[in-house]
Amino acid sequence: MTRILFADKLDNCLERWRSAGISVIGPVKKSNSSGYSAVTKAAEFDFNLVLPERSIKELFFPQSEPLMRYEIKKQEINTSEFKAPTSERIIFGVRPCDAAGLAIDDPLFGWDYQDEYWFQRRRETVLVTIACTKADDFCMCTSLKLTPDSEKGSDILLRPLENNSGWQVEELTDRGREAFKIIADLLQESQEKAAPTAVVEEKFDLEAALAWLKEPENFESHFWKEISMRCIGCGSCTFLCPTCHCFDIQDEGDTYSGIRRKNWDSCSFALFTMHTSGHNPRSTQSARWRQRIMHKFNYFPGKFNLNSCSGCGRCSRQCPVDMGITETLQELSKLLR
Amino acid sequence: MSEPFEPKIVAFVCTYCTYAGADLAGTSRLKYAPNVRIVRLPCTGRISPMFILKALQKGADGVLVSGCHPGDCHFTHGNYHARRRWTVFRALLEFTGIPLERVKFSWISAAEGVKFAEFINTITEDIRKQGPFDQYKQLIRDTESPATL
Amino acid sequence: MSIVEQYRTKVKELLSSGQVKMVIGYGAGTTPDRRRPLFMRSPEDADKMLLDNACIANLSGYLVSEGLLSDEKRVAIMLRPEGVRSINILAAESQLKAEQIVIVGFDTAGEELRAIEGSEAKDFCALIDSLKESAPLQAPDPLFERIVQMSPQERFNYWQEEFSKCIKCYACRQSCPMCYCRRCIVDSNQPQWINTSSHTLGNFEWNIVRAFHLAGRCVACGNCDRSCPVNIPLRFINRRMGMEVLEVFDHFPGMSESQEPVLASFKKDDPETFIL
Repeated sequence: MTRILFADKLDNCLERWRSAGISVIGPVKKSNSSGYSAVTKAAEFDFNLVLPERSIKELFFPQSEPLMRYEIKKQEINTSEFKAPTSERIIFGVRPCDAAGLAIDDPLFGWDYQDEYWFQRRRETVLVTIACTKADDFCMCTSLKLTPDSEKGSDILLRPLENNSGWQVEELTDRGREAFKIIADLLQESQEKAAPTAVVEEKFDLEAALAWLKEPENFESHFWKEISMRCIGCGSCTFLCPTCHCFDIQDEGDTYSGIRRKNWDSCSFALFTMHTSGHNPRSTQSARWRQRIMHKFNYFPGKFNLNSCSGCGRCSRQCPVDMGITETLQELSKLLR
Repeated sequence: MSEPFEPKIVAFVCTYCTYAGADLAGTSRLKYAPNVRIVRLPCTGRISPMFILKALQKGADGVLVSGCHPGDCHFTHGNYHARRRWTVFRALLEFTGIPLERVKFSWISAAEGVKFAEFINTITEDIRKQGPFDQYKQLIRDTESPATL
Repeated sequence: MSIVEQYRTKVKELLSSGQVKMVIGYGAGTTPDRRRPLFMRSPEDADKMLLDNACIANLSGYLVSEGLLSDEKRVAIMLRPEGVRSINILAAESQLKAEQIVIVGFDTAGEELRAIEGSEAKDFCALIDSLKESAPLQAPDPLFERIVQMSPQERFNYWQEEFSKCIKCYACRQSCPMCYCRRCIVDSNQPQWINTSSHTLGNFEWNIVRAFHLAGRCVACGNCDRSCPVNIPLRFINRRMGMEVLEVFDHFPGMSESQEPVLASFKKDDPETFIL
């Protein structure tokens, strides 16, 4: 016997959570684009998406976030800080790769400096993940040693029932249990079986690729030029990635008043490393693509013992020129053989 | 009681004609609405559409752009280039939903002090009637940056 | 002989005879419906080349990538008519020399692809002339018509909703053959004309400026629209700009390498009904 949340109870759940002061966010498709957005009615959820086009990271690390306001007067300078909003929320219908992506970035945002903008939101959010029963050609979680029903980063794991009428509930953390206590009486004990999880074939040999990347002489390999020749240098892979976390600090305003913002930045942009002098240490697109791969699979693991990739495949799925991590690591893992 | 709405209008003018026209209006003691902030430029050819966007970004309720009549340009054809640019930029503004009543273009020569004063009066009244450019101001508020105009 | 075989032979010929140092074409992508840019440098590479209706992207932007053409050697590229028009504009704007580019032309004719005769941009003039003639007769797009019919307020709201999705990844800019500026206006900060932040105002400003810079230069290849990861219908803005320059200035971008850019030229009797 397992506890089941039936889909027809979802509206009641939303109502309960709302009365408890918790807002609900979920996978939604609107104006021809999908992402995680606020939901008030169960009908707004789109659980049929293999994966929302935009990743979950924007809910924790917004693409543009005000940090500070400044005002310069004759005798004084006034500043005031923006704090991350405090509001309890549940993200219902997270994909396991997105939840894992957040867990991957936790050590990064808490390493030498505790980023309260990130952790405030992390603390106040319950991640209710739904295991994947379907995958597309770009999914690659298994290649990253994760699974379509991975628990990493999630507070609750839901497994869709075979007849698609609801989900088996697995409570993983205290925070998850707390949120589900509110709807405990809406859950039912049942024998219904869970649908089989999606089959995601392993697309590359991660160990082989990691070993190749660790070799210092491969930094200058001709491989980088070949693999990135068609890269046009846009930021769609980095901005859609659930783990890419680079940002830029931007002052908007004038000499007398304005605000300071934290904006997403991308290592694929030439401007990312441009010096004031005009010199650019990463002057070619191949050097930028190498940086992206090296950061994810060499520098990040070196520091945090984690690969900075959860295998969602968005980089390849959405790339205007059909590049992506999958292809690069596939080619890399072939090089050693 | 809140204060009555006073439109804030930015005028981009060329120094040889319209600015001189404004000067003439002043020396002729013609009175006109004080709602316009004039930005003087060497030629209408120097007026980039970016200026218009900047004025709106800083909270203008209306923008006007003015220079020499065709054929009168100090640089012989700066205003001809500007005219093409305005035509296209206007179509773009219209298509993206910026009301064209808020962005006006005119030719005012150095001799047309009266036309300048009248033009400023009409446009000010016109924009006063339309009220503040709320849709754009909402966008500015969302950025948290001050509209300093 | 199918067009693929015909062009594979042609590519092999071009490369083995040393007429060109590289051929830019299409190869297989991750999934059966995807094609990716392919850079062929040896005759054997031609075997990987594909050509079918899925080959849509305008590849001409790669020609202006740094250093490619600086050795004066010729480069061949597979292009649809829009792509040829891009070459003409790039040549007119002094970004490349048209005679350095060998064009392997193709177009969709019904279900099939057909080869287009010619090897340099100037050989395609008659074809592009006929495109200009048929441009005003383009099939109307229902959504485009709806946007045109909206009130300014509705149109404003429509675009705000679309632009609010923008993540400023600049895929539209990077995929556009016409966006070759070394430093884009949005990346400049002295002065900083438009907001770089991706709030709705910043997104609006970015999209306006992008569209304006392409007015009279866009060949409607659709690269920007297809590459947008959040599906903003950029084609509509470009289309509106294209209509304007055609109707008002009789300008159809990319007719020839000697065509004057529409916003860098003028006629004394250009219409000016809106100027008071």
